[in-house]
Amino acid sequence: MAEVKLRDVVKNYGQVFAVDHVSLTVEDGEFVALVGPSGCGKTTTLNLVAGLIPMSDGDILIGDRVVNDLDPKDRDIAMVFQNYALYPNKTVFKNLAFPLKMRKLPKPDIERKVLEAARLLDIEHLLERRPRELSGGQQQRVALGRALVRDPQVFLMDEPLSNLDAKLRGQMRSELKRFQKDLEATVIYVTHDQLEAVTMADKMAVMSGGVLQQYDAPDRVFAAPANVFVAGFVGSPAMSLIPLDVSTRGTDVYLVSPDGWDCRLSPENGARAVKARTGKVILGARHSTIRLHKQAVPDAVPGRVYTSEPTGDITYVHVFLGKPVVVVSVEPQVRVAPDEAVWLEFDQSKLHLFDGETQQALTD
Amino acid sequence: MSIVTAGVAARKGIDIWRLLGRVFLTLLVLFAVLPMVYMVITSIKTQFAALQFPPEWWPSNPTLDQYWTLLNPASDVGQEFLGYMWNSIWVCTITTILGVAVAVPAAYAFSRFRFPGRQWLFYAVLLRNMFPAVVFLMPLFILMRWLHLVNSDWSLVLTYLTFGLPLSIWLLKGFYDNIPVQLEQSARIDGATRFQAFILVVMPLSSPGIIATAIYSFIIAWNEYVYALTFLNDKSKLTLPVGLQRFFTEYTTNWPGLMAASFIMSVPVVVMFLILQKYFVRALTEGAVKS
Repeated sequence: MAEVKLRDVVKNYGQVFAVDHVSLTVEDGEFVALVGPSGCGKTTTLNLVAGLIPMSDGDILIGDRVVNDLDPKDRDIAMVFQNYALYPNKTVFKNLAFPLKMRKLPKPDIERKVLEAARLLDIEHLLERRPRELSGGQQQRVALGRALVRDPQVFLMDEPLSNLDAKLRGQMRSELKRFQKDLEATVIYVTHDQLEAVTMADKMAVMSGGVLQQYDAPDRVFAAPANVFVAGFVGSPAMSLIPLDVSTRGTDVYLVSPDGWDCRLSPENGARAVKARTGKVILGARHSTIRLHKQAVPDAVPGRVYTSEPTGDITYVHVFLGKPVVVVSVEPQVRVAPDEAVWLEFDQSKLHLFDGETQQALTD
Repeated sequence: MSIVTAGVAARKGIDIWRLLGRVFLTLLVLFAVLPMVYMVITSIKTQFAALQFPPEWWPSNPTLDQYWTLLNPASDVGQEFLGYMWNSIWVCTITTILGVAVAVPAAYAFSRFRFPGRQWLFYAVLLRNMFPAVVFLMPLFILMRWLHLVNSDWSLVLTYLTFGLPLSIWLLKGFYDNIPVQLEQSARIDGATRFQAFILVVMPLSSPGIIATAIYSFIIAWNEYVYALTFLNDKSKLTLPVGLQRFFTEYTTNWPGLMAASFIMSVPVVVMFLILQKYFVRALTEGAVKS
């Protein structure tokens, strides 16, 4: 296994930048998720690492080799595709043997390695079948087996779980993670599902518009999103984001809504809020850090219930604070009616503040 | 009550349509098959019986003499006929092989690569099919004279390629479009070069399309008449369609002989089509429904 380094990697089609100066390092044995909405450049980035499309600028290193101009076959990588890309006219055995055969391994070695991988993935009984005779989960395992069979330097995975049903996906998620830890494999994993990234990855690289927005451990990304995009993308339900104006009254700093309400900030948050360049901030709060009151309390802001969504162990209440809607989680026994007046209190220690103009997080 | 009658009425409606459909199909089959049947029947009649009026629907003395004569290399007639047949097989085989050899990479390139003028070139390829073949007769003849190919097999091979390739490329491109590009990418990551990925992964998957394309080229070339008539003079070079015609005007019109020869000529095409029809249908409907 090896470390992978991207240095100022660019892929552009004329004026359109699919990947815009992305730099990141995947440590040896690390599981990194490239995550973002469709069209954010994550798959393009992966294909650049694989060498399937030519790079416009920058460097990619695998181990200490610069692989910019190497063919995919010479990069010593393995890849699992979203549609598995199993060779339909070959049996499972031949599918698994293909990468070894192409590398001209002697026959007994091929057989031994294929059987080893098949045992590991529990697909020994399927070796003589063809891909179309397998279920989705089995195909997925074969695809994984074909990647495992050849101890590559890096595993690249392009949404490998998204064609599975929800239950199987959950199961494969933990299996995949366990494999990665057992093999101490370097994995670059593309997904649009932030939950997959958060649960599996050692580090996640959040991308949008071809630009790397934040690259950090999932808990860090969750706790301290670098900008408004990351804040809204990571976490479910999404963080509520409210555009507000900053106003100073004496020593206190207030956030004022154009809808008529205001909210006093703690001294620490106040100090951050006044750094906003144009006096405009975006307030971010996750559902679990907002308390819902049925009566007016000091420092709580008035709102009106839109809907409530009971999920069994937790109920999400959508509340209008003027125009913006805020999601709050409450205990399931709390009942609210649409259009009921409620008051929301923000946990000041877990508030997120972003510059209204640059969209970047305001830090101390 | 009303529901029941409505149901009956609906079923009746379907039955009428189905009946009309059957009648139409039957007429269509008769239209296609009757000439064939009459051809076969005539071919086993004697010369005299073939010209009888009213015609005999089933010959009283069926005979395979015409077939023996045609297929006997020792007889003059047989020698000539087998010569034409050999010419046809030669021209059609070369056309087919070259056609596939050109159409496969061309279709693959149109399907996989983005190059300047790709769209334009693809439509240009199809543009040929908008003109009737005769329009090209004189220009191609002049061209062949320049190339000193008049009266040579190669004039036909070149011409048939010109006409066969557009549809071949178009058919095959449809096939390649349906092979996920990830299969090749996977092969390339697994250690194959781009060319190996094409040969080892894409080619086997597109073999139905290649077979269909080959049959198509072969049949087009096998049946072609006007160009063969125009480009060839030398009797020893003639292909079957032209050969047959000359043949039988020379020796008075031997109808049973002509029919027997026509039957022999249609055999390879029919056999080929029957064996490979499933590929052909698949090639033409590929991509119609998402699998």
